Amino acid sequence: MQPLQSAGYDRAITVFSPDGRLFQVEYAREAVKRGTTSLGVKSAEGVVLVVDKRPTSKLVEPKSIEKIFQIDEHIGTATSGLVADARAIIEKARIEAQVNRITFNEPIRVESLAKKICDMKQMYTQHGGVRPFGSALIIGGVNSKGCHLFETDPSGALIEYKATAIGAGRPIAMEEFEKKYKEGMNLEEAIELALDAVYEATEGKTTPESVEIAVIDSKDKKYRKLSEDEIKDHVEELLLRKEKEEDEEE
Amino acid sequence: MKFNNIVYDSHIIENKSSINSRDNLKESKVVVLQPVGYPFSCNLIDTPKIEVFDKQLFEIYAREQWEGFNAVEGSFLFDQKILPDYAFKVIKAHPDNSKITSTTSIILIDNQEINEIKNMETDIKMEDVIGQKQAKLKCKIIQKYLQDPEHFKGWAPRNVLFYGTPGTGKTMLAKSLSGELNVPLYLIKATSLIGDHVGDGSRQIHDLFDLASKTSPSVIFIDEIDAIALDRKFQSLRGDVSEVVNALLTEMDGIKENQGVVTIGATNNPSLLDYAIRSRFEEEIEFKLPDEDERREMIENYIESMPLKVKVSIIKLAQSSKGMSGRDIKEKLLKTALHKAISEDKSTVDREDIEYALKNYQTEKNEPKHMFA
Repeated sequence: MQPLQSAGYDRAITVFSPDGRLFQVEYAREAVKRGTTSLGVKSAEGVVLVVDKRPTSKLVEPKSIEKIFQIDEHIGTATSGLVADARAIIEKARIEAQVNRITFNEPIRVESLAKKICDMKQMYTQHGGVRPFGSALIIGGVNSKGCHLFETDPSGALIEYKATAIGAGRPIAMEEFEKKYKEGMNLEEAIELALDAVYEATEGKTTPESVEIAVIDSKDKKYRKLSEDEIKDHVEELLLRKEKEEDEEE
Repeated sequence: MKFNNIVYDSHIIENKSSINSRDNLKESKVVVLQPVGYPFSCNLIDTPKIEVFDKQLFEIYAREQWEGFNAVEGSFLFDQKILPDYAFKVIKAHPDNSKITSTTSIILIDNQEINEIKNMETDIKMEDVIGQKQAKLKCKIIQKYLQDPEHFKGWAPRNVLFYGTPGTGKTMLAKSLSGELNVPLYLIKATSLIGDHVGDGSRQIHDLFDLASKTSPSVIFIDEIDAIALDRKFQSLRGDVSEVVNALLTEMDGIKENQGVVTIGATNNPSLLDYAIRSRFEEEIEFKLPDEDERREMIENYIESMPLKVKVSIIKLAQSSKGMSGRDIKEKLLKTALHKAISEDKSTVDREDIEYALKNYQTEKNEPKHMFA
């Protein structure tokens, strides 16, 4: 019965269903849900990006699973969904950032970059013969006007968030954010919150190897990926905290 | 075959016996009968096939001859007039063990319809359904309502939709509800409401709701409701979609108030349902896949009843069965492992068997692993 659902309106992306839906684009959003959780939190001191990588086999080198990318020195992004599609988008985004530097002799604004990415995604929902991108991006960066955190989905929609999540664990992570997000957190607190959300979204299966963290500090406006040791410290602290919380509950 | 005068006598005797106990017997509201046939067969008489072409006429006929009789579920009533000694089984009497009066509605049903009407004989209790708190809460409300329908007035629960992935316990919860309730519960497979001919579907739906409202308070549980509540845009696929949907719409909330009838629908594909039907459901309850704790509890329950002992830690099992529904755990994990162990003449189910079952399950799902991250 499943294929009946769209009654043939999902054959081409350029065809609207009678109730105004674009099924292929909606299916692309489903592809995003197949990816593991990625999230971003904006704080007073910068932006934090955290991803859950969860290697499928112990033979896989965890480092080779890329979910956080640097776009320019002040912008980073976390992805979820089809890996290959994400890489194609990142490639274009990096070029856009450099084009801006060369043309205007200044770093690109985070919002401009996010909009450029969305323009491209949008093009792939309006023409025949193409397929929408199967990945969503959380774009975080710092520019002269402060910190920004954008989320884009395969339709090309753009929303700025204080904290957001994409991928399989989105509903759970968002619930955690709704509960615990506070204005004016410092960077440490933001990392803590993001890890809490990852912990909940992965049903407690968080290890130092399974997460990756990147921060863009608002002071130096530089993207920086945390080292393995730093991540290990953060995750161990998280696990201790969760253990304590569980003990208190009992 | 009895002579007429003897028949008459026995009629009086039975009448008397019911007169004696008249004081402590309630008047029955509704009696459902099934034609059974003669007590024995012989080559002189063929067992006649009974067909009722006018329900009202049959009701008058039946009331007249059985007025004053006791209707006890499972007992028999004998025809006195057209086919003396032809037996009818009392499938349902509401209330049970009550007296047939001139206002009792008497319904004759076909042999095929019996399965639908019969209460499910089940020993599943509501506690056996693990998780699904929201759905259980709703069932409690329904139970409360059915105990005291007057109290709720116009605010009664009427239509509820259960939806969710297969194997998460929708039908099981309905079965357990039938065990807990002491009102009639009509467990219907939606596919059985579609008839052979166009027009059968709507008629059977109306009949079902008629029966339910006569025996109210009562519950109707329609399993796989997407078979009859299909979106009307699929009219081109099956000719009677819109007719059947309209029948269901009017019954669920229409001109006739089906007082005291609660309808529960179950489907694993709510998006296929007709928009108007969905809006009639006051609540849509999702049945989710079990989380780790719920899986552990399920596995504990299942293992208890398994013929071989399981020598694997329950916590490990719960962890490795992530993403499985309750049914998957039972049918695809534990059963496969158990059968493997039995086929190899082992006395316990060990790690190897479980791993074998898990591997089978995974190849079945066969998701692309490295495309997504």
